[in-house]
Amino acid sequence: MIASLRPTLLFPVSRTSTEANRTGSWRFVRPVYRFKTAPCSAACPAGIDIPTVEMLASRGQIHDAWAHICRENPFPAVCGRVCFHPCEDACNRAELDAPIAINALERYIGDAGLAACSPLVSPAAALLQREVAIVGAGPAGLAAGYFLTQLGISAEIFESTEEPGGVLRWGIPSYRLPKAVLAAEIDRIAAAGVKIHCNRPVNPDTLAEMAARYDAVLVGAGLAAPLRLNISGEASIIDGLAFLKQVQAGSAPVASGEVAVIGGGNTAIDVARTLLRQGARPTIVYRRRRQDMPAFGHEIAAAEAEGVRIVELMAPVSAAADGNGVRMTLQPMRAAEVGADGRVRAVPAKQPPQEMRFKAVFSGIGAGVAEPWHRPADEADAIRLSHCAICRGTPTVGYIGDPVTAENSVAHAIGSGKQAAIALHALFTEGPEAVAPAVDRCRVGPGPALSMEIYLNGERSRRNGRVVTFADVNTDYFLRAERCAIPALAPAAAANGFEEAVATLKPRDALAEAARCFNCGICNDCDNCRIFCPEQTILVGEGGRRSVDLDYCKGCGICTVECPRCAMDMEEESA
Amino acid sequence: MRQVLEGSHAISEAVRLAKVQVVAGYPITPQTHIIEAISQHCADGSLKARFIPVESEHSSMAAVIGAAATGVRTFTATSSHGLALMHEVLHWASAARLPIVMGEVNRALGPGWNIWMDQSDSLAQRDTGWIQLYCEDAQDALDTTLIAFRLAETVNLPAMVVIDAFYVSHTFEPVDVPDQETVDRFLPPLEPRFRIDVDHPQALYPMVGPAFFMEMRRSIQDGMEAAGPAFDAIAGEFESVFGRRHSAVETVGCEDADLVLVTTGSVTSTARLVVAQQREQGKRVGLCKIKQFRPFPAEMIRAVLGSAPRVAVIDRNVSFGSGGIFAREIQGALCPLEQRPAVYSYIAGLGGRDITPETIAEVLRLAEETPAPEAESRWVGLNPDVKP
Amino acid sequence: MSESINADRGLTYPGNLGCPGCGASIAINHALKGLGEKTVLVIPACCFAIMAGPYPMTALKVPILHTAFATAAVSAAGVRAGLDMQGDTETTVVAWAGDGGTFDIGIQSLSGTAERNDDIIFVCYDNEAYMNTGVQRSSATPYGTRTTTTPGAGWKRTRKKNIMEIMAAHRIPYAATANIAFPDDFIRKFAKAREMRGGTRFIHVFSSCPTGWGVASSLAIKIARLATRSNIFPLYEIENGTDWTLNLEGDLPVGDYLGAQGRFRHLTPEDLEQIQQEVDADLALIQERVAATRVRKAHLKPET
Repeated sequence: MIASLRPTLLFPVSRTSTEANRTGSWRFVRPVYRFKTAPCSAACPAGIDIPTVEMLASRGQIHDAWAHICRENPFPAVCGRVCFHPCEDACNRAELDAPIAINALERYIGDAGLAACSPLVSPAAALLQREVAIVGAGPAGLAAGYFLTQLGISAEIFESTEEPGGVLRWGIPSYRLPKAVLAAEIDRIAAAGVKIHCNRPVNPDTLAEMAARYDAVLVGAGLAAPLRLNISGEASIIDGLAFLKQVQAGSAPVASGEVAVIGGGNTAIDVARTLLRQGARPTIVYRRRRQDMPAFGHEIAAAEAEGVRIVELMAPVSAAADGNGVRMTLQPMRAAEVGADGRVRAVPAKQPPQEMRFKAVFSGIGAGVAEPWHRPADEADAIRLSHCAICRGTPTVGYIGDPVTAENSVAHAIGSGKQAAIALHALFTEGPEAVAPAVDRCRVGPGPALSMEIYLNGERSRRNGRVVTFADVNTDYFLRAERCAIPALAPAAAANGFEEAVATLKPRDALAEAARCFNCGICNDCDNCRIFCPEQTILVGEGGRRSVDLDYCKGCGICTVECPRCAMDMEEESA
Repeated sequence: MRQVLEGSHAISEAVRLAKVQVVAGYPITPQTHIIEAISQHCADGSLKARFIPVESEHSSMAAVIGAAATGVRTFTATSSHGLALMHEVLHWASAARLPIVMGEVNRALGPGWNIWMDQSDSLAQRDTGWIQLYCEDAQDALDTTLIAFRLAETVNLPAMVVIDAFYVSHTFEPVDVPDQETVDRFLPPLEPRFRIDVDHPQALYPMVGPAFFMEMRRSIQDGMEAAGPAFDAIAGEFESVFGRRHSAVETVGCEDADLVLVTTGSVTSTARLVVAQQREQGKRVGLCKIKQFRPFPAEMIRAVLGSAPRVAVIDRNVSFGSGGIFAREIQGALCPLEQRPAVYSYIAGLGGRDITPETIAEVLRLAEETPAPEAESRWVGLNPDVKP
Repeated sequence: MSESINADRGLTYPGNLGCPGCGASIAINHALKGLGEKTVLVIPACCFAIMAGPYPMTALKVPILHTAFATAAVSAAGVRAGLDMQGDTETTVVAWAGDGGTFDIGIQSLSGTAERNDDIIFVCYDNEAYMNTGVQRSSATPYGTRTTTTPGAGWKRTRKKNIMEIMAAHRIPYAATANIAFPDDFIRKFAKAREMRGGTRFIHVFSSCPTGWGVASSLAIKIARLATRSNIFPLYEIENGTDWTLNLEGDLPVGDYLGAQGRFRHLTPEDLEQIQQEVDADLALIQERVAATRVRKAHLKPET
């Protein structure tokens, strides 16, 4: 009865949520996830998505990392050994402590891929019923074949020698690139559907025949003709490239005693280090300054550590063979002004020429095209791209690799093959006008590197081309951490034989090294945006893709500032 | 069972019998005996409650608010400055609609430190939304405390049980202390209408804007209005269980009175004697004791006093610049009547000064002799020898 | 949107009334991760009293008891007592107060509660002034600050009250500092406090206030991080009032932190130097206590 006297209660108690307050209406700027371009990937001639590769590797997803590299480069184990890694020079981490050991990580991942015998997976591109013949099974030709296959175009490679690989097989010594590694990666390309025919030299006549049978022909014949010194007595100087080839084939005579190698490029270094391994005592003679040598710095350093002597500012004037060896006359040089090519010129110094005696002298000053048809004629009606040229007409003939790339490296050759494949695909599907825009569209950042993933409208195609700088990185999240030591034979031991001089990283070191990566410009699921969002507006979708619940985001901008890697931007609300 | 108890312990016994679950307390004379006794009950297990010995009265009220919000029965006690310090949280307790019961021992506020009887402390809290019940003696204190729990829990408003400093709090009297079973029949366990519950989360007492605030204040008023009839009903049940009748307004001989004396608290007992003596002398004098100050029983006041020609109100309090607080409330209650009694207002017994039978007789004499009430309350018992 | 979207917002609802970039919002998100759903929050007057939602709304998925300004700790103690009496010893009762409700008006009931060692967690989310009322100074406002009651040349010339030492002096089982910019440490401390039942635990949270500090809202975390990295707000724990642990030692000068905020912009290099010396001395004091704790513990170890 008394209970009936209870009054109704209206008092302050909240039982509904604040979700009714659409605080998004307060906002005048909004956060957006805008993934950007990492400087390493923009610097990679092969266009590898390095920040994603390192992210996957740091999580121990090595197979995924390997597959991700292979979307852009079918040669991770090779490039992990021989690439000159301009990515590391571009690495933002250098400003904090030291660049990521990208090259060593690529090797680690590539070797893991080989060990796992993982097949290359082709994206499900529509088959085009087009066939392309490729001349030369060097890195450019193999890459072109691989990427054409990825694009649904069948590719057949015609190699003049008995083995595929080109400069990788014949030019690069085995202490840098074991043949088994090369063979395994080439086998994998063949397994992916690229037909490789060896002992099938091509000449202008067979080229014409091919052109009639195929929808296009790509010429990737490389640089097979050694450059000449143009000095008297040149006949007494051994061609370094030919020497390397013989060594690979096991047919080279063994050198000993004091020998000289003329040149400052990678060939000179390779020749000198090979000679060292044969038991000779090589001296590199270079006409410019040491710092002007075009060889990769780490190769020069390794050569010196092993005992190769370098004599700089000394130009060969003449050579004369006698019974005991070769007498070289050398002109001392001095550094002069910067030349038209942007390099410091060397001019004869006042000192008189000097003589030096060697048991043998090798030239390693580079090579040029062996045949005129290995490069496009100057007058040809060609679509000239950064890494290739496509001559229009019937038949369509494209040129790839060293003869048409401004810089010559394995990575550039791979980039060249990729660019040609994209160009041909665009040509076949949309016509000649579409080629240049297609190539432009898949640049990594400002280019010139191209991404197949972008061309195929993968995740990367949604990235912004702006290259992330060190200032864009929120270094609050990165403690200084030492770059991993790359395991290597002691120089003295390395110089003793043709065993690989550098080893692959240990798994723990590799993961730790990959974890040092800033992952510039991409989301690595660090979740800072979500952890720090005062309004809890960050939603996580499939595959970890994050989005902002704009109904409630007040536009404070914390997410964007606290994104360690510049994967977010604030954008003004349109009125 | 009849025991000889002081008024403070009449309250603490009621708290024990009410099976209160959380008690907070802070010492202040003349209230201290209440919480001392409760602490003892908690210590010896005769009361299964948590006693929180807080560091101030502000905190004791806050502590019982927190506890009451979880749905347990709570109690605290205070006096004077302690009550004044609680002022903010008294509002909180009532608007929070928590059925907290508090023992309040009337005492003056300083300066002029004074620990003695004076109603200024409790009456100053009249607008805080608390039910206020004034007790005449120790038995009244025990009974009223039990009724207060029942009433507070019925209307979801806190209730203050007020006793006089020393005259009740420290005076030993025979008290009938009921047994637990009987009390349990009258006072069942608390069934809270809302409470903090992690399984049903809600936010108690958030910010309320102008769009809702007035309605919530109206709801408190509704609760107060419900408290009047609820008190009557509960008092009726109390009587059926314990045999003692309590009412918001109690009268003695008012029906034919020419003059009705209005009192509260222990002075009523003295007044009973004086009124009886005067009745014997043939004077038609009545007595009206007001027990329930909030909600103010205006309807009953009109019914009881409306027909009397004169009403004399003794206030043991003063609202400076206005006068005796009970007198003013009674004047306000009688105002709607066309024929109103003349209401004489007397202020007496502040700060523990005795209100003796002589004081009461003088009040009655003054009321009889004064043709019309003065505008100001008249102060009785001032010592003319005390000069500035 | 795809169905697999994870819209898990923890124990808070969106739509709270905090300013953009509010540190207290971030603090509650972190805190509830450590506390879990069996938590009751007791909130006195403070920014959060408003942010948590006006009637009839609430921004939290745990029960809240809003209380009067001075009463956070003891109200929580009351809730604890009420729950205990009903046999619920599992629920964690947390007082969630600003610096005013802790350092100033709330310190009496906090001290009383800590002395009784009531089984609650008291959290002070410290934004170093009365922000809800428009940036007036509190006793948590640091030396050198301009507020609306220490304006212009009258910037605050007394130091921030050291609440941690006060709490340590109560010898409560656990007192810790936490910073919204260090979520792992933050959540760990809340979880630890939750598990250490049976006494008063105190957590002093550094909670930046872009609105009151003259900092862009986007920098709320950045500035909070600088506070710890400059040792102005070191991260440490005190167990039983005597066992000190320093969680993180800063590496940056105070100028990096102070110079980034409008409220300190008027300070001269000499002022900064003075503050640096005080900060260094304070850190040294903590380090001494940490070292003393180690020595004491080493002596306590039984001989092997």
